[in-house]
Amino acid sequence: MGLREYAIRRAIECVVLLILATTLNFFIFRLMPGNPLAMYIENPMFKAETKQLLIKRFGLDRPLWEQFLIYFKNMFTGYYGISFRYLKPVSELIFGPRLFNTVVLMMSSTLLAVLLGVIFGVVSAWRRGTKVDVSSLVVGLVLYSMPVFWLGLLILLVFAYYFGILPFGGTITRGLHHQNLLHYIADYLWHLLAPMTTLTLINFGSYLLIVRNTMLDVLTQDYMLTAVAIGVDKRTLLFSYAMRNAMLPLVTIVAINLAFVMSGAVITETVFSWYGMGRLIYSSVMERDYPVLEATFWFIAVMVIIANFIADIVYAYLDPRIRY
Amino acid sequence: MRLVSREKVRERMRIYKRSIREFARTYKENKMGIVGLGILLVFVFMAVAAPLIAPHSPREMWLAEPLSPPSKEFILGTDELGRDIFSLLVYGTQVSLLVGLLSTLLSVGIGGLVGLIAGYYGGVVDSVLMRITDLFLILPGLPLMIVLAAILGPSIWNIIFVIGIVSWPSVARIVRSQVLELRERPFIEASKVANASDLRILFYHIAPNVAPLVFATAVLGIAGAILSEAGLSFLGLGDPSHISWGMMLHYAHEFGALEIGAWWYLVPPGICIMLLVLSFVFIGYALDEILNPRLRRR
Repeated sequence: MGLREYAIRRAIECVVLLILATTLNFFIFRLMPGNPLAMYIENPMFKAETKQLLIKRFGLDRPLWEQFLIYFKNMFTGYYGISFRYLKPVSELIFGPRLFNTVVLMMSSTLLAVLLGVIFGVVSAWRRGTKVDVSSLVVGLVLYSMPVFWLGLLILLVFAYYFGILPFGGTITRGLHHQNLLHYIADYLWHLLAPMTTLTLINFGSYLLIVRNTMLDVLTQDYMLTAVAIGVDKRTLLFSYAMRNAMLPLVTIVAINLAFVMSGAVITETVFSWYGMGRLIYSSVMERDYPVLEATFWFIAVMVIIANFIADIVYAYLDPRIRY
Repeated sequence: MRLVSREKVRERMRIYKRSIREFARTYKENKMGIVGLGILLVFVFMAVAAPLIAPHSPREMWLAEPLSPPSKEFILGTDELGRDIFSLLVYGTQVSLLVGLLSTLLSVGIGGLVGLIAGYYGGVVDSVLMRITDLFLILPGLPLMIVLAAILGPSIWNIIFVIGIVSWPSVARIVRSQVLELRERPFIEASKVANASDLRILFYHIAPNVAPLVFATAVLGIAGAILSEAGLSFLGLGDPSHISWGMMLHYAHEFGALEIGAWWYLVPPGICIMLLVLSFVFIGYALDEILNPRLRRR
C-alpha cells in the first residue's frame, strides 16, 4: 500500500468517525433531564404564550428527529445556534476573548512543559539509574500524582496570601484603568503567571515520564548497540540516533493534547477564575446550556480527529513500516 | 462433560504458585514498588479502621468555631461547619479507595471484554468495536465526565459509573494489541486444531496471558480514577453524604479558606490525594518494569 492509498483510507475512516461523533454529540445532551429553558420559562412574570413562543423559537417543540436533522445540517454549515443562557449566538461566545485566554494559557504552559520535559526526560534516560535519573523520575511522578487544583491552591496560598505578590485570580485587575496597551499586557501577564506555572508543572511531570520512557525504549534497541559497537561518538549517538527516533511519538502526543486545548483547563480556570473556555463549559453544564456544549464538544472532536489524521500521515511518511 | 482433569488443574496451580513466588522475589527488589505498597497499606488501614482512628464523626457539626485553626482537641482545625477536619480526612480515605477500585474494575471489565473480542475475532467485529472505542477517545475526557455526572446527579455510585464508562477505551486498545500478538502464537493454533471452542480459547488461553499487563495498566488506572474523582468533587459534583478529599477542597475554596490563609484546611486533603495516587503510580511503575520485558535493562 502506498502513502496515497493509506492517506485516503485514513481520511475515509476520519469522515465516518466525524459523522458518528456528531450524532453521539446530539444525543448526549438530549439525555439531560429537565427542560433546558426551565430557568427562563418558569418565570412567573411570563405569560403562557410567551413560554410557548420561547419553546418555538428554540425549535424545542419539533420532533426529536427533526431537531437532529436541523442540528446535523447546522454543525456542518457553521451555524451553532443561540445560547439559552446568554441569548447570544454561540459562535460569538466561543470565538471571543474566552477562547483567546484559554489558548494563551494552554499554549504557553504546554510549550514550557514540553521543553522542560524533553530536557529532563532525555538526561534522565541517558543516565539511567544515576541520582539525576532517580530524582527527576521521582519529581515527575510526584507532579503527575498532584491534583492540578491543589497545586493551584498551594501556589495561591504561598504567593497570593503569604507573600502577596500574585493576584488571587481573574484575567486582569477589575476596575483598574489601564493607561496604555503595555500596561494592559503587563497586568494580563501578571495574572497569567500562577495558572501557567500550575499547568506547566503538572504537564511537565507527564511529559518527563513519556520522554524518559520512549528514550529508554530507543536506547535498548539493537541498532543503538550496533552504533555503539561501530564507534559512533556519544554526541551523534544521542542527538542523531536516539532523540530523532524518540521524539516521533512525542510529536503525536503533543499534537493530540493541543487538540484538546479548548477543554484542557476546566479545573485550572475554576481555581484561578480565569475567563476562558473551561469555565464556559463548566457553567454551561450547570445551566443546561445545550447549544454551547454541543458546539464546544463538536469543535473538540473535529480538532482531535484532524490532529490524529495529520499525526498518522506524518508518521507514515517518516516511517514507511507503518503502512503495511 | 468434565473440561479439565484434576491433575491438570493441580499442575496449573503449581505453575501459578511458582510464578507468583518468583514475582514476589523480583518485586521485593524494586524500591519504588515497596515504598508504594507501604504507603498504600497505611491508607488501607486508615480506611478500614476509620471509626477507631477518627476522634469525631464526620457528620458532627458545630464542634468548635467554624474554620478554627489547629488546636489540641482538633489537630487539623475545623471546617466551615465546625466539623473536625482530621476526622473528615480519615473517612475520606474510604471514598477515594472505593471510587478508585470500583471504577477501575468497571473500566477494565468493559475495556478488557471489548479488547479481547475485537482482537480475537478481527474483521468487521474488530472494525466496529474499534470505531466505538475511537469515538470515546476523541471526546474530551473530563468535560464528558462533568456532563454525565451532572446528568446523573450527585451520588458516589454515579461518580464510579461515570469514571469507569469514560476510561475504558484505553484499556480496550491495550488488550486488543496484546491479543493480536497472542492470536498468532502456535499454542493458540494448537488449541484450534484440538477443536477448542472460541470461548475456551479466549478465556482459558488468551485472557491469562493478557492479565499481567492489564494488571499493571489497571493499577495506574486506579491512580487516574482517584485523580478524576478528586477533580469532579472539587468542581462540586461529588456526593455530599460521602465527603471525599476533593470535596473538602471544594468547600475550602468555596468558603474562602484561601482568603483567611486556612492552610490546615487546604494542605492536608491534597497531601492525602497525592500520596494515595503516588502509591498506586509507584506500584504500577514497578509492575510495568517487572512484567514488561522490553523495559528490562540490557
